[in-house]
Amino acid sequence: MYVSYRWLGRHVDLSGISPQQLCEDLTLSTAEVEGLERFAPHLSDVVVGHVKDRQQHPDADKLSVCQVELGDGDALTIVCGAPNVAQGQRVAVARPGTVLPGDFKIKKSKIRGVPSHGMICSIRELDLGDEHEGIWVLPEQSAIGRPVDEALGIEDWVIEIDNKSLTHRPDLWGHRGIAAELAAIYSRALEPLQAEMPRSGGDPAFPLRIESASCSRYIALPIDGARPLPSPDWLRWLLLAVGQRPLDQIVDLSNFVMLDIGQPNHTFDRGRLASQGIVVRNAREGERMRTLDAEERSLLASDLLICSGDEPVALAGIMGGEGSKVADDTSQLLLEVAAFDPVAIRRTSARLGLRTESSARFEKSLDPTLPLLAAGHFARLLQTLQPEVSFPAAPSDAGDWRDPAHEIALRTDRVRRALGKELEDGEIAAILGRLGFGVRPHANGFMVSVPSARATKDITIEQDLVEEVGRIHRYGNLPERSMSSVIAPPPPDERRLLVRGIQDRLAGGARFHEVLSYSFISDDMLERVGMSGLAHVRIINPVVQGQDKVRRSVLPSLLTNLEGNRRQRDDVRLFEIGKGYRPEQPSERGEPQELHLLGLVWATPPAAKHARFDDDRLAQLYGVITDLIDSLDLEPPDWEGKRPLPSWLHPAKSRTASWLQEDKPAIVLGELEPGLTRALGLSDDLASDVAVAEISLDALLSAPRRSGRYQPIARFPGIKLDVAVSLTDETPAKAVLDAIEQAGKGVVADAELFDVYRGDNIGAGRKSLAYHVLLQSQSKTLTDKDEQKFLRRFEQLVAKLGGELRKG
Amino acid sequence: MAGPDREFPLENDEATLERAQQQILVCQDSQALKAVEREYLGKKGVVARLLASIPQLAPEQRPQAGKTANQIKQAVAQAIEARQRALDAATLEAERSGAGFDASLPPARALRGSLHPLTQVTRELEDLFQSMGYQVLDGPEVELDYYNFEALNIPADHPARDSQDTFYCDEQGHFVMRTHTSPVQVRAMERLTPPYRIVVPGKCFRQETTDASHDHTFHQMEGLVVGVDISVAHLIGAMKTLLRGIFKRDLEIRLRPGFFPFVEPGFELDARCPFCQAGCSVCKRTTWIELLPCGLVHPNVLRAGGLDPEQWSGFAFGLGLSRLVMLRHGIDDIRHLLAGDVRFLEQF
Repeated sequence: MYVSYRWLGRHVDLSGISPQQLCEDLTLSTAEVEGLERFAPHLSDVVVGHVKDRQQHPDADKLSVCQVELGDGDALTIVCGAPNVAQGQRVAVARPGTVLPGDFKIKKSKIRGVPSHGMICSIRELDLGDEHEGIWVLPEQSAIGRPVDEALGIEDWVIEIDNKSLTHRPDLWGHRGIAAELAAIYSRALEPLQAEMPRSGGDPAFPLRIESASCSRYIALPIDGARPLPSPDWLRWLLLAVGQRPLDQIVDLSNFVMLDIGQPNHTFDRGRLASQGIVVRNAREGERMRTLDAEERSLLASDLLICSGDEPVALAGIMGGEGSKVADDTSQLLLEVAAFDPVAIRRTSARLGLRTESSARFEKSLDPTLPLLAAGHFARLLQTLQPEVSFPAAPSDAGDWRDPAHEIALRTDRVRRALGKELEDGEIAAILGRLGFGVRPHANGFMVSVPSARATKDITIEQDLVEEVGRIHRYGNLPERSMSSVIAPPPPDERRLLVRGIQDRLAGGARFHEVLSYSFISDDMLERVGMSGLAHVRIINPVVQGQDKVRRSVLPSLLTNLEGNRRQRDDVRLFEIGKGYRPEQPSERGEPQELHLLGLVWATPPAAKHARFDDDRLAQLYGVITDLIDSLDLEPPDWEGKRPLPSWLHPAKSRTASWLQEDKPAIVLGELEPGLTRALGLSDDLASDVAVAEISLDALLSAPRRSGRYQPIARFPGIKLDVAVSLTDETPAKAVLDAIEQAGKGVVADAELFDVYRGDNIGAGRKSLAYHVLLQSQSKTLTDKDEQKFLRRFEQLVAKLGGELRKG
Repeated sequence: MAGPDREFPLENDEATLERAQQQILVCQDSQALKAVEREYLGKKGVVARLLASIPQLAPEQRPQAGKTANQIKQAVAQAIEARQRALDAATLEAERSGAGFDASLPPARALRGSLHPLTQVTRELEDLFQSMGYQVLDGPEVELDYYNFEALNIPADHPARDSQDTFYCDEQGHFVMRTHTSPVQVRAMERLTPPYRIVVPGKCFRQETTDASHDHTFHQMEGLVVGVDISVAHLIGAMKTLLRGIFKRDLEIRLRPGFFPFVEPGFELDARCPFCQAGCSVCKRTTWIELLPCGLVHPNVLRAGGLDPEQWSGFAFGLGLSRLVMLRHGIDDIRHLLAGDVRFLEQF
């Protein structure tokens, strides 16, 4: 909201208080000031000139050559094209070098051979209105040579207040409300407002009927003889300062009253209203009306209408209708000032996307005593400008409203305890008094009466009064204290420790980068990962169409930027810890199931043809996960599980693991589905091996812990030997490992696969697996005999697997 | 390789010694020196042969001959050792000269992963708060309208809902993407027994168009303290401690009125801009940066959490983690945070 410094001065004496100081104080005590700017700053560069002489331009009919005196003795020659320029006028002169609105810089020039040393400005050139038929003629007494704003006494500052910080303060939506705050802050008096209704004639009251509970008060004041004359300068300047374009006295006064005391109002052409008068009713479902902005609006039964008879003439509290527009020849007016239900106004205005100065105020819960004051304010101002207007009848005033003023018992000790400062009762009472509250002694403090302007919503409980005292006393004057209460040490946070352990391990040795992603997943990505058939929590008002699903799984998020990342780096390792939502098993309250998940992606260019068996993404990611589980002090999971795989996993090159017999695997791991790899753009020069995994944090949290017991260091030397077996391709490596364990029962300290080989010399469909084996006993030194025994047994076991021991 | 096959005393002793010393002096490395050593002191070397020839001498000549041979042996050994020391010293000297070393070569690239900057700042704050007795809680991102709004004293049709730009998850409006971490306030009150102090880091959502300074998804940290007679003075104290933790120094702060329906009184907390003295782009030339909204917990919120406002009071605050990360690292576009670009991530 824009506020004029000069306008505020109409309600409270601001002498000695600079606009800057005022803004600082408003920010610290009342509401956030977002900006402070000079009003029309170019008006201090443009000076008052006196047209000493005007001659016809020798070479142009429509141009005048003027001698303009600027008070410094000399006169400037200025060529002017305006028809209304005349000798003796005071005019606004922009000298060479002056920059006018629109970044228009005035330069010396020659116009048809005559040098011109500046410009005589029109209203429009100064961005003060639309008039451009001629130059702006200033009042005769304007001081020659002075800046125009100073000469006219219209130097002003525009204060911008953050609307959000006024959400709870209906009383601050007009200058008088802000001025009342300043009066309290500076302990100055608020000027009285002369707003009693002028005398009116004895005509019967204007017919008025309220048929809706959404209108609690409606005042209709008939006015005769009002004319749409241009507004006087004082009014124009104030409206201009807060960004309103002056139009005519009727429109301008209506705006002025709203901006002055915060009460929206509306004028109708009374001559065009039906004889039944005004009816306030809810719209009929599907009823239509055309608003002043020429939009056809389709209405619901919850919308409130002002009707002439049955014909809608305004969308109540939001915008007038086209049919009731005040025409230029209107002299019979009807002024509407009303109180509407804030929720109804807000709903209609939000639904229609029609936010107006009026609706913004009504939805804040305006004071229902304000309409009569506003009607009187309007009537008196109009009468001052146009003494011939008359009010043929007393205002019709209907509605089932009540004065919201009420009382709150305030325990002053509560104020001190909440603010943490020993404020005297007297000081508390004084602050409340300055803010316009009535204060009388009461048990443990005061009974505080809340004036209607503050009583609709803002001040309803004791704590609201604590805030009033605190902000005027200033929060900066409160002490700083540390809390003294004893708090038990927070319980250990297993989940957070787990998360940190994972992050550190992955970002450390495993060299993964941690990603945090959006929770929304695009339809396109869901389609690609084959998840579009699954249930998702859906956003009904997404920012981007097609981005309306809340992810079930973190993995697709990690794939979103995989192509971009692979373009930048050969080796891309990413992980994310985040949440997934599954709506198919909601809680009792309907909340979707929330999963805490860890996703991992590792992509590199394809492995070389004859790379080692463990130099592939899947084996290495498997290694990372195994190490991670180990580092988290968990028992190794059971990797044997055969469970349904997510659609993004390679159907064959993948595996799952669990610790407990759950219906879902704790870990899924594999290569990315090959079709998906291509669909993600990872082909041709970006062709990649991609291994992915997703791990349930809940499963990790409930997984059994490793005992952590120390293993004694072997005291007896061991025997290191290498064994190689050749087997059919189908025989799993695990069978060989089992055979090693069994052959050397109790003395196999380590068995490490170091080579997988396929080739002609061992036959097609066969592979060779080679292991480093360490045989070691805790109780004796092993001998050649032990080694021979192991080899013999091993050979037998391998034979049972259909394999043979390779020698040499 | 052995020396010429000479019989003792073809050459006089002095000449033998002199020849040996000269051979030693011209040796340029240990290998050559070893060869000389073998020639004179080896099993079939000059000295060995001298000693072997002694029995053939006249008995009276033998002691002198033996003595001479030993003198030659010692003198050669000493000369070799001296030469070896000289060669070692020269080698060290040569190494020290650093010939061929280019100090401007880049370091070998140390490979590492990274923790997201939001994780880093969240951890720091969690640790700071935990040291002050706060526990860290978590709450759902898909939230009931009740916790996100109703329980926080923001009923349906309250104008404050406007500024929240909510993503709705169903037509009935029962579920929203939480617009702040504040819903965990009442969730915590339902679960915990006062007094307590909690912080809640997490993701929040606003239905708004994104640009360099706005994203529809961002991170916040909620704080809530519930106890007896918790006052604004306590809030000021806690916030100063917090800022000291974040900025590693004392910053002047100011509280000014701010409207949030779930606190009363409510404040905006500003801190003196840590980046300038006289105004900069970060503080928009005001020397103050708006850091966090906070306030005393509204009695309606305490009631929603099952607490009696006559007995319990508290304060709450909401810290913008995304904004803090941006301030700390000078990040000029919030959208980098959630874009998952390794070129961004690997910097942290």
